[in-house]
Amino acid sequence: MLDQVMNQYNEAIMDTDRDRALTVVRDALDQGISPEEVVFRIVVPAIELMMRSIGENQGVSLAQHFMAAQIASEVVDEMVPRFRKAPEIIGRVVIGTSHGDFHGLGKRIVSGCLKAMMIEVSDLGLNVAPERFVDEALAHDARVIAISSMMVHTARGENGCSRVRQILKERGLEKLIRIAVGGAPYRFDPELYRTVGADAWAENGIEAGKVISNLIREVRK
Amino acid sequence: MMTGMERLSAAINGTLADRIPVFCNLLDQGAKELGLSLEEYYSSGEHVAEAQLKMRAKYGYDCLWSLFYVGKEAELLGCGKMIYAKDGPPNVGEMIIRKYDDIARLKVPDDISSHPAFAEELKCLRILKAEAGGKYPVCAYLTASMTMPALLMGMEKWMQMLMMGPHDLRDELLAKCSDFFRKQIAAYRAAGADVLVYSNPFGSTDFIPRKFFNDLSLLWMERDLGPGGTAGVVYYCGSARFNNVIDTVIRRLGIGVFYLSPMDDVAEGKRLVAGRGLTCGVINDIMLLEWSREEIRTEVKRIIEAGKPGGKFLFGTLVMPYNIPEENIRTMLEAAYEYGRFDTP
Repeated sequence: MLDQVMNQYNEAIMDTDRDRALTVVRDALDQGISPEEVVFRIVVPAIELMMRSIGENQGVSLAQHFMAAQIASEVVDEMVPRFRKAPEIIGRVVIGTSHGDFHGLGKRIVSGCLKAMMIEVSDLGLNVAPERFVDEALAHDARVIAISSMMVHTARGENGCSRVRQILKERGLEKLIRIAVGGAPYRFDPELYRTVGADAWAENGIEAGKVISNLIREVRK
Repeated sequence: MMTGMERLSAAINGTLADRIPVFCNLLDQGAKELGLSLEEYYSSGEHVAEAQLKMRAKYGYDCLWSLFYVGKEAELLGCGKMIYAKDGPPNVGEMIIRKYDDIARLKVPDDISSHPAFAEELKCLRILKAEAGGKYPVCAYLTASMTMPALLMGMEKWMQMLMMGPHDLRDELLAKCSDFFRKQIAAYRAAGADVLVYSNPFGSTDFIPRKFFNDLSLLWMERDLGPGGTAGVVYYCGSARFNNVIDTVIRRLGIGVFYLSPMDDVAEGKRLVAGRGLTCGVINDIMLLEWSREEIRTEVKRIIEAGKPGGKFLFGTLVMPYNIPEENIRTMLEAAYEYGRFDTP
């Protein structure tokens, strides 16, 4: 039965049909599937499937990424309070757009995916100063600072990721906190993340979930 | 020596030319050219026209741009604040749709040509036409109705409304943006713009699923372009790929120029256009910040070799970041002129 529900949920996600996806989930609960199974055996695998589809270049669109993350976030919000015991948080992340950047879509997609993966996200919003990224990471005990940039000058600028790296270095925090970046300039220059001092980059919001969870595990080792 | 307009006409008509047309969008670089800050530069249509003419003459490419920056269209719809950077295009600093009620209040100007926010662009267009009209095509940039709401409410909120509704408000907003587009394209045509770059990332299945493209994007594009027709219109989806919709766009919309994504397969794009229009191979110009001279030349050669056979092809740039070294701009253009040359009998 779980397989059947998973297929129905995946189809709804690929069709960007939020209402159908939520109905599938609620019907599954009525049929005895637990809230934990909904999250870990339906929602998270759906995100992983989307990652594979992107990797295999199967033409998954930005709107499908957005809806997959949005629906995952909504389902997790609905399911977690019904868990038998509070889920174990894998780690914490602060996320925002780089200084001078006002494009929030990518950040939102990443946040939805991370939430489904039991990663706690503190959204710092748009146009975030480099000092604030670091201060908030410390305040939230975050292992990763995620910086989204949609414009070349905000990705490469002196108040972007490179400044965050410099602050981490100055404060001796490099072993504690990793930096992940994403956004159009990184897609058009896959080595740019190194130039700006990030530890990793993700080609899209869905993949960012995997990249960031890997960084968290790396720091925790 | 041929002019840019002659090269473009030859490419469209399939007649002889010395080389393929080369379109280059140096925008923010104009401020550097005149020794001004970006804010000073963009405050005056005279500055923009002067720099456009100077840069075209200096580098020798085939077009002129009347575009200041993409957010300018939001100013025509009431946005009063732009946020300037020192080394990149300004951002819209005030979303004029913050809540759904704002959609009802959004007013499309009756006459774009007399709108104060259009005055400097109009001034720029008039100077470009007076100085280079008929010799070099003057390009204007227009945001499609389907994409315009991103400038008014932010891409994040627009994507949410587009995908999740409320659909009646979504359609009300799209109708206003489409009305605005129709007036704007008429104003540019009246001012003499030769090339009308129709920018619509939502015209790409990198952005939306194919079904959505068929059911929604196509309908709004038809509405945008219906009254004025597609003469001079260039299909452009930002950096998003669109080879897989080319045939549909030709059949349904009748657009005849395709400005591909750097991620599109140029030869495949040209095959899909199939002689029914012009194909533009576009370089990933973000890499001009990093590439060596040889890497630039190799990439230009690759693009042109894929698209030039049989003509009906031009070479173009994408975003041309402000900090690209001048030497790299020259290397790219010189390679495009060299590899784009046609052997004369």
